[in-house]
Amino acid sequence: MTSSDPQESMPLEDYLAQGGKLTTPENAPPRYRGELLRLMATFVDSELAGAAGFADIVNQGPGIKERIAASRIVLEKLDHAERVLAVMGEFGADISRYANHHPWTARVARDSDLGAARHGSDMRLAVLHYPLQDWLDAVVMNVLMGRAVTLQLDELSSLSYQPLGDIFRTILPRERRHMELGEEGLRKLLQDKANKPPITASIAYWRPRVAASFGAAASQHFDTQKKFGLRHTGNAELAAEWARQVDSFLGDIGLR
Amino acid sequence: MARFFPLEVTEIRRETRDAVVVTLAPRDEDRQAFDFTQGQYLTFRRSFDGEELRRSYSICTGKDEGLLRVGIKRVDGGAFSTWANEELKAGDALEAMAPMGAFHVPLQPEVSRHYLAFAGGSGITPVLSLIKTTLAREPGSRFTLIYGNRSINSIMFREELEDIKNTHLGRFNVVHVLESEAQEIDLFSGRIDAEKCARLFKGWVNIDAVDMAFICGPEPMMLAIAASLREHGLRDDQIKFELFASAPRRAKHVVKTAADGAKAETCKATITLDGSTRIIEMAKKGETLLEAALAASLDAPFACKAGVCSTCRAMVLEGEVEMETNHALEDYEVRQGYVLTCQCHPLSDHVVVTYDQ
Repeated sequence: MTSSDPQESMPLEDYLAQGGKLTTPENAPPRYRGELLRLMATFVDSELAGAAGFADIVNQGPGIKERIAASRIVLEKLDHAERVLAVMGEFGADISRYANHHPWTARVARDSDLGAARHGSDMRLAVLHYPLQDWLDAVVMNVLMGRAVTLQLDELSSLSYQPLGDIFRTILPRERRHMELGEEGLRKLLQDKANKPPITASIAYWRPRVAASFGAAASQHFDTQKKFGLRHTGNAELAAEWARQVDSFLGDIGLR
Repeated sequence: MARFFPLEVTEIRRETRDAVVVTLAPRDEDRQAFDFTQGQYLTFRRSFDGEELRRSYSICTGKDEGLLRVGIKRVDGGAFSTWANEELKAGDALEAMAPMGAFHVPLQPEVSRHYLAFAGGSGITPVLSLIKTTLAREPGSRFTLIYGNRSINSIMFREELEDIKNTHLGRFNVVHVLESEAQEIDLFSGRIDAEKCARLFKGWVNIDAVDMAFICGPEPMMLAIAASLREHGLRDDQIKFELFASAPRRAKHVVKTAADGAKAETCKATITLDGSTRIIEMAKKGETLLEAALAASLDAPFACKAGVCSTCRAMVLEGEVEMETNHALEDYEVRQGYVLTCQCHPLSDHVVVTYDQ
């Protein structure tokens, strides 16, 4: 690798639009850099906030197995945040300060309505501002959000900044496993008929909030990300696929 | 924050008319930091006419050679590469960051894989490191290199590649494709494009047996090859790219200090994002440049709002601003005019800021 011959080169926008990949911070033009960092910050903040919320729930797990599962989810989400934060560090972010610059356990009131808007001073997805009520509520949230994360990570695995795409591809199976752990937990809770009404209520609470995390159907921001090869599939398409998968799973377990 | 280490130039060898190979030695205490992975690069910094330049060059040695070496090809008008080719000499000191980059796959001595690499011009440097390390550390694996150059004289590491072929008989194969020279076999003339790939995959490379492909070269070449590899059945995770670290694509500029003084309570801020410009009247105290931009419905990038992540970086083209805190930009970036807009308040009555440069 060395500086290129301008005659053999092409405008970076064209290269990205045609599916080209960038590999170092030096390759990244300013606007691309800004959008990439924003995307990474959203992921890191969501993982940190998600892990923080889940950590409080661990002790409520009905058995040791459940507590192990919840601990593992906390551990791995923190690990995923750390990996992506390291990439932000290569762009200049102060990673030790970053990890502690927000109160990741902070939550809004349960009955607040944030829509899809960012709230407070970090970049976590709005859905991660709502508090978990108890073990059952956490399991339901994890099932619905786990599906969303899996779809979004799959989408991001092919993004144009290859070092980040590689990380997303590596952590995708682990995030999928988190979702599966949630589904196992939900099946187990359903063995007790008395749990059905609170589970139904919890689904009704979380479903619109997770759905909102896919972003608006018509989004100028998405267009910018698409131009840079950071995204490919539209928000509405991803949300529709999520809804389809959720309906199918809820049907399987007799909740539809 | 980026940390630079001094490296001593122990040898400089002319490889082709316009490329040199530079051998470097870290201080004893820094050896650990320079224990690179095959395919990584070093980022150097040097000041030219008072302006700090940073340039990245790939390491071209294998892990088992015990040497730290980079290849530097001269680029027309490139200050660093011209200086390295014309003035750099043994005994000089260079400053570099620890090796970076992810242009490799973890090696597994017990597996037998077939690797395919494409290199264009000086794109050979990281690929050479991959070839040497892989052949040494994965004894059952094979490597095929498709190597594009303008002419026979411009081929970097031509002899070394021949030596590798002889050392690892039957495990390494190189196909030279020369742009401006007619060859006996027409397939080996011209540029490496989609059509060339398709023909190579017909007779010369058994693409179905390839486990992993690496591409390093100019953008059009990388696109054409990647598309062709995908067409022939390779998945995204089987294709690794390394893009040339191009010279900065932004225009040079000089930060001007406002001549109109700083008398008013408010500032007229001209802010550009994605090619569109807004003029905003903002208070000098209280509001940050980022907040002013967001309030004017500009979709400016930001994340931490604490001066830590650098997502909101922009360049001040005119006027004077003050940053409250800065944990993310380095001094040389600040000298170039970069600011963290989440931490910025205008001092002058007029500022011009762009997120596009």
